[in-house]
Amino acid sequence: MNFQNPYLTGLMERVERRNPAEPEFHQAVREVLQSLDPVVTARPEFIQEGVMECLVEPERIIKFRVPWEDDAGHIHVNRGFRIQFNSAIGPYKGGLRFHPSVNESIIMFLGFEQIFKNSLTGLPIGGGKGGADFDPKGKSDAEVMRFCQSFMSELYKYIGPDTDVPAGDIGVGGREIGYLFGQYKRLRNEFSGVLTGKGLTFGGSLARTEATGYGVCYFADNMLRAAGKSFEGRNVVISGSGNVAIYACEKAFALGGKVLAMSDSGGYIYDKNGIDLPLIKQIKEVDRKRISEYLTVHPQAEYHQGCRDVWQIPCDIAMPCATQNELDETAAKALIKNGCFAVVEASNMPCTPEAVEAIQAAGLLFAPSKAANAGGVATSALEMSQNSMRFSWSFEEVDEKLKGIMADIYRNSSEAAATYGMAGNLLAGANIAGFMKVADSMLAYGLV
Amino acid sequence: MNEYVERVSSQLRERYGNEPEYLQSVLTWLEMIAPAVDRSPVYERRDLLTRMAEPERIVSFLVPWTDDSGAAHTNHGYRVQFNSAIGPYKGGLRFHPSVNPGIVKFLGFEQTYKNALTGLPIGGAAGGADFDPRGRSSREVMRFCQSYMIELFRYIGADTDVPAGDIGVGAREIGYLYGEYKRLTSRAETSALTGKGLTYGGSMIRLEAAGFGAVYFLCRMLEHAGESIQGKRIAVSGFGNMSWGVCRKAAELGAKVVTLSGPDGYVFDPDGVTTQEKFDFMAQMRASGRDRVEEYADRFGVEFHAGKKPWEVPVDIAMPCATQNELDVDDAVLLLSNDVKYYVEGANMPATAPALKLLRLSSKIRVAGAKTAGCGGVAVSALEMVQNSLRYSWSREEVDSRLRAIMNGIYDASIAAAQQFGLGDDLVAGNDLAGFLKVSEAMLAQGL
Repeated sequence: MNFQNPYLTGLMERVERRNPAEPEFHQAVREVLQSLDPVVTARPEFIQEGVMECLVEPERIIKFRVPWEDDAGHIHVNRGFRIQFNSAIGPYKGGLRFHPSVNESIIMFLGFEQIFKNSLTGLPIGGGKGGADFDPKGKSDAEVMRFCQSFMSELYKYIGPDTDVPAGDIGVGGREIGYLFGQYKRLRNEFSGVLTGKGLTFGGSLARTEATGYGVCYFADNMLRAAGKSFEGRNVVISGSGNVAIYACEKAFALGGKVLAMSDSGGYIYDKNGIDLPLIKQIKEVDRKRISEYLTVHPQAEYHQGCRDVWQIPCDIAMPCATQNELDETAAKALIKNGCFAVVEASNMPCTPEAVEAIQAAGLLFAPSKAANAGGVATSALEMSQNSMRFSWSFEEVDEKLKGIMADIYRNSSEAAATYGMAGNLLAGANIAGFMKVADSMLAYGLV
Repeated sequence: MNEYVERVSSQLRERYGNEPEYLQSVLTWLEMIAPAVDRSPVYERRDLLTRMAEPERIVSFLVPWTDDSGAAHTNHGYRVQFNSAIGPYKGGLRFHPSVNPGIVKFLGFEQTYKNALTGLPIGGAAGGADFDPRGRSSREVMRFCQSYMIELFRYIGADTDVPAGDIGVGAREIGYLYGEYKRLTSRAETSALTGKGLTYGGSMIRLEAAGFGAVYFLCRMLEHAGESIQGKRIAVSGFGNMSWGVCRKAAELGAKVVTLSGPDGYVFDPDGVTTQEKFDFMAQMRASGRDRVEEYADRFGVEFHAGKKPWEVPVDIAMPCATQNELDVDDAVLLLSNDVKYYVEGANMPATAPALKLLRLSSKIRVAGAKTAGCGGVAVSALEMVQNSLRYSWSREEVDSRLRAIMNGIYDASIAAAQQFGLGDDLVAGNDLAGFLKVSEAMLAQGL
């Protein structure tokens, strides 16, 4: 796909040349630059003052080895990364991912996306990302602890509550954050808000678990209301049954919707009476079993193996909450044919580019993940606020702030899209709104 | 009792036989929390009890200074950084000839579990020196404080360790200490110390907090029993800051404190310490440094009982507010035979272990330990840190209402924990169990 502005064509070529073998990063940059095409034409100073050139180059990349010993005494060496992409509007902020697929391209792509998502929250957080090609699956607690301690023994030099505040991501949950925090505290002799996603006994925030799912529904609610619609009495299909899916489902019900389906990696449940969410929570959060168990309590529901067909269920609102590229063009066409009027991305990039194109072309409401699931990182930033004041807000206070943030993200994205002649295109609007705040700050600082 | 608890207890007994106060408080605590240790093998697997019973770090240093005549003196300074699992180390500095490593360790230990229940992010610590400010000129005290801080400043900080006052360390000493800290670090890092004056970062209510908190706690106990503080007669020991706050709040709420005590004996004031004139006189007695309570009897024409303790006076409520181990088994028997209904500790560990046990196991009297009722001071210290971190001050009413909410929260958490372990409304055990669960959860999460 080409750019209208020739400068962007050249810039994209340089990005590809300078970062060979980083296809994920190229894709993410291309998507953002496409949204910014009309912006840089209207504001040529972003080009003249080097903002665009700086935007696509991380401020700093740190790569390090992480040696650790397994329970049998064998030595392993993993590779750790921290990419401090952009600090124009606040300390670097973004998750750590521990997964065998982690490489520089993945971290570059995630760090770049994080800049815009964080900016959209309206909170003072820059963009960063990190991780390691370590797989916590199948490792003992003690091995995970030793890995985390070794990882932090290097990382602590580069982070801090005013410098860089990592959080969790795939493979880094409450357990890993606890070990990382313990080691940081020991190395620095400092108890501070240097990491988010902490346990409630040592600085975590209430409502963090619910934040992404709730936030997705708050965003969707704003989008629906602007179109004269709402969740009230609407049928909703949700994929996934993890954290995001469960709390998106809970809030969708609370807003008057009826969730008909949920899934896991094995298949999906279709319950015409509406999903029994307490049962899903029991199966997934307590018993940690397959979603097919649902039938033992509700035999009238249907279980289908495989997840592709979940989008064939007729619904008004589709909320992919499982994983990337889970909703392709075929699925999009089925949704459109069945009269679905809104697709809300809850997981990161769940719709393929072809699906997005089909959804937007058919005039459906489309909430892009960058904006819709920003509630997670927004609540991380609220955890930082609480740590900085050394005081905790109640669940209701955090939830109320989250609601306000999601409303602002919707309004800013929607207005930005309208300003640049793309009214209703929230994907472009989110990229533009996120970009403007960062770019204006970079202009203010000069060449640094 | 639990075998692991037994083993840790005997190790501590062997190793710290020369630190009786520390041993007393830690062994009593181990006995209280044994039911929780019974419930999970993880505590033993991670050797958590040893790490919870002993300090993370002890700093011991010399403090040389010159008196007004130019003669040199050398005192011994200490800082025990006991536990940082839930926040920066926090606890008072005591300047008193009786200070030794065992006393400081005992105070640091108690502080850890006292702080845990305030719900605020503060770990546990204590410090001080065997320096006696009594009879010293302000210049001498200033020189001592400066010399003390020249060593201490490298171990403290807003996110690391936040000392406060204790016996012998009041507003004057905190002022000198903070001034020196600011000079050495070139940072107006107000939340590195609490108990500061109102002009440089202190909090409203800080002085009254300890006594107010104890009375708020008492009110919650009474409320729970369907009673009110109105018209109650209270025996208080001591005449320092804690006693002063208790007298004021009790009078405000319609009760009266009828005794005060000092090293020389106790006074019995049947009309109650209920007027501004009497409150002010208490403050004067304390400021004079003469440490005699007989002056109160002379001034107000009430009975003075030389060499005796106030526990022989029949009252509704007894509140020991003077110092550790001031109340022994004979005194406890006296309280029971006088039909005293409530025993609420203001001072740290005011009862000997057998005396506390006797009271706790009696069904005639309701008992609240120092780690619950005595939290008011440190709670407002933590609120002072909050205000410093916000760079903003709250009104008197705001601080007062937060203090009351914190005291209520401590009561509720202690009762909930007692009930969880089938111990009815045993506040002492409930408090220890609740504190144990919170700190141990954070420590487990943070790894070794």
